Amino acid sequence: MKKTLYNYYIIDRLNRGMRVKVEKDLGAEYSAQGLSGEERMTRRFEYLASLEVPHIHKDEKIVLMRTVANLPDVYTEAEWTEIRKSHYIHELGYVSNLSPNYATTISKGLLAVRETANEYQVRMIDAIISLCDRYRAEAEKMGREDIVEVLTQVPRYPARNFREALQFFRILHYSLWLEGDYHNTVGRFDQYMYPYFKKDIEDGIYTRETALELVEDFFLSFNKDSDLYVGVQQGDNGQSMVLGGVDAEGNDCFNLLSELCLEASRNLKLIDPKINLRVSSKTPLSIYEKGTELTKVGLGFPQYSNDDVVIKGLERLGYSHEDASNYVVAACWEFIIPGVGNDIANIGAVNFPALVDKVIRENINGDFDTLIGKVKTEIKNECDKIRESINNVWFVPSPIMDLFRADKRYNNFGIHGSGIACAADALAAVQKYVYKEKKVTPERLINALDSDFADDAELLHLLRFEAPKMGTGSKEADDLGGMILSSFADALEGHTNCMGGKWRAGTGTAMYYLWHARELGATADGRRAGEPFGTNFSPSLFAQIPGPITDIESFTANDLTRNMNGGPLTLEFAAGIFNSPESIQKVAMLIQYFIKRGGHQLQLNAVNLEAMKEAQANPEAYRQLVVRIWGWSAYFVELDKDFQDHVMARQEYNI
Amino acid sequence: MKLFAKAKSLQTSSLFTITYNFEFMNGLIFDIKEFAVHDGEGIRTTVFLKGCPLRCVWCHNPEGLSPKKELYLKQNGCLGCGRCSIPCDHEECREIGRCLHVCPKNLISVAGARWEAKALADKLLTHKSFFDTMGGGITLSGGEPLLQADFCVELLTLLKGQVHTAIETSGYAKSEDFKKVISLCDFVYMDIKLADSELHKKYTGVDNKIILQNAEYLKQSGIPHTFRTPLIPHITDTEENLWEIKGIVGGSSWEMLPYNPLAGAKYASVGRKYFLS
Repeated sequence: MKKTLYNYYIIDRLNRGMRVKVEKDLGAEYSAQGLSGEERMTRRFEYLASLEVPHIHKDEKIVLMRTVANLPDVYTEAEWTEIRKSHYIHELGYVSNLSPNYATTISKGLLAVRETANEYQVRMIDAIISLCDRYRAEAEKMGREDIVEVLTQVPRYPARNFREALQFFRILHYSLWLEGDYHNTVGRFDQYMYPYFKKDIEDGIYTRETALELVEDFFLSFNKDSDLYVGVQQGDNGQSMVLGGVDAEGNDCFNLLSELCLEASRNLKLIDPKINLRVSSKTPLSIYEKGTELTKVGLGFPQYSNDDVVIKGLERLGYSHEDASNYVVAACWEFIIPGVGNDIANIGAVNFPALVDKVIRENINGDFDTLIGKVKTEIKNECDKIRESINNVWFVPSPIMDLFRADKRYNNFGIHGSGIACAADALAAVQKYVYKEKKVTPERLINALDSDFADDAELLHLLRFEAPKMGTGSKEADDLGGMILSSFADALEGHTNCMGGKWRAGTGTAMYYLWHARELGATADGRRAGEPFGTNFSPSLFAQIPGPITDIESFTANDLTRNMNGGPLTLEFAAGIFNSPESIQKVAMLIQYFIKRGGHQLQLNAVNLEAMKEAQANPEAYRQLVVRIWGWSAYFVELDKDFQDHVMARQEYNI
Repeated sequence: MKLFAKAKSLQTSSLFTITYNFEFMNGLIFDIKEFAVHDGEGIRTTVFLKGCPLRCVWCHNPEGLSPKKELYLKQNGCLGCGRCSIPCDHEECREIGRCLHVCPKNLISVAGARWEAKALADKLLTHKSFFDTMGGGITLSGGEPLLQADFCVELLTLLKGQVHTAIETSGYAKSEDFKKVISLCDFVYMDIKLADSELHKKYTGVDNKIILQNAEYLKQSGIPHTFRTPLIPHITDTEENLWEIKGIVGGSSWEMLPYNPLAGAKYASVGRKYFLS
């Protein structure tokens, strides 16, 4: 990629200077006119699209970027209050975390799609086409005949080649964000784009190098305006791309385009798109090596998922074999189906350490089996409570998103499982010291928990550093982790949600590794009050882990096919470990072992602790330092300090 | 640095064990490292045996030098709370002079844990499925593993045929110890640090005569091996030294290891001074 282009958008961020803030209170205006939801969304879209000012950098090939800085709400506060009275509103109320079917539209063209669209969709399609025409006019003015040619074809007509397909994707993806949908994922990009790519390569239009350059240009487009798509933190924007994996017949679909995507991400070192790699027991070591080359640059990509486990698990939940085989991830790691999925993969979360803590405090004087029985009951009660609290889910209409998912076949709800290791560790400690060895009396334990270990340094040390924990090779802790996983799945199995779908148990925490932990006092695993849990399905921050093999064996010790909402084990490596080709290969072998052991999801980080310390002291000098948070990567200096501190506290493997 | 559970008491073992010298039944280990990527073919688990007859000025494992257990004090993060200095009644803390069980940052540990060969072999073989699936194996390192030659023999005998084994040695050992241990290994890494006898004494504290004898034996032994030379600036990396070592090594495989600039990092933790900074 040309340095001028990269610098313009990424280093100097000059494009951000042309943003326009929308001051109008659209909600009030629409409310006064008593407009329907569809009408409001359509009007806003038309209005915002009309405000856009075309801007093309002289060195870019893929165009279209948001200049409208904000999306005023289509409802007033008072209206929201009214809506909430009779509905469950998920997050912001706009649709999110979906994987649209871009491919069909790219192959048909918007004019053909318009034929069968409803009146709102027709108007929005017209607004998109009109905006693209203004871009074409701008390209003409600049003498960019190549862009003029592309925009003459798309989005009106089907893409005829790889570049047109990429540009078409960009237009559709942009439109979803402008509609107000968020965490809009990319899906199996290397599969639906492959026919265009393959044809152009075969026709000699691109060499490997020029194709890579175009993919890089395209990747940059995810980063031009992504600062406008803020989630819990900057970087949490859901632009997940999934590469590789098997098809419904079990053939491995990793192709040259998959490879170029890994390479483009490695070259650009940008936080978007977020790269996921589907693998299985059949995946050759060479693909893991390519993945590890990307891990090396420190973005926290790729995240791996295991087709052998995930497809089986999704089928168990009622997804058809064909749809399950086509799975992708939502914003972070939640498994969803492109085009036909309407799942809400992050509708709730269970705080396992809090449940276990409550049970320990109430039952420590009884026997251990009874205590475990109570844990199961508590998990069931909590899941019932969550289930019963979610009724009449309502979303703001999304005419554009609906273009890309004609059939809303799956309406399942996913529940995160936060702090599984912390909860299992607390039970393992109690089992060993209170029940088996009787080394710690119930009173001493409860007193220490109540006082946050203020007067019992020895008990803190015992529970925190010497007790059995998940990830340390303790069978007892792993078995208790398994008990939690299966109780969680049992509690949700067989229930139908308000949209007619099922409930899915997960192993992810999302931001709850901080949020749930903040409100929880000291726990029996030696965690002090307010201290965070590990992210997702990972060991506690102070577990004394002998090494990555033990860690992997612990987190693959239990069957995970019933906990199919997603959430990876994370392994942290000191960045220096990736310095030789030999060690790249050995890290790749470790990943392969995880997959062969039946792990469901794995994410690896190359950690540079020194750089993070420097960055906290001198943020300006480290604006490009990227770290992985819980299911997405971010620029370190743009994070709140508690998120920064957590990344720095994770245990890393050295050589 | 990890603190391992104390080895099981032997007194409850069967009568036959009485004929053994207990010292030979136990090994003193200062670390077991999973996922070592530079200690042999494939992914290795490396066992570090404590105690070394050499005193190489560039040594990066100072906690491996003494053949005894010793206090290991991590330097970063001490809150200065002083809890570790309050006398306690734990038996294991007595010989160390600090309480091992109160540090809120877990900075205090003992370098050196006694392991019965059988228990250690069982522990190492818990990852057998990994080695079977992915290759790799177990590497004995140190310190100088041959300082505990009988323990090595026992451990390697237990591992024989189950998993690939390798040893990393300075070669400074009685030739009978050297022979019996390496004959049980699938691969041997042996250091030739300095060819000149005087310089060897100066920088490692011992003469290299016995090392060169063992090197000759290794070359003829038919056991797969590689000689290694750590490249220490101005000490071992001189043209003269490398030229002479080349002659000693002959047709055997030989690799040079780059100097570890962080070699001095752990000295303060065991109360030693690093002279090569």
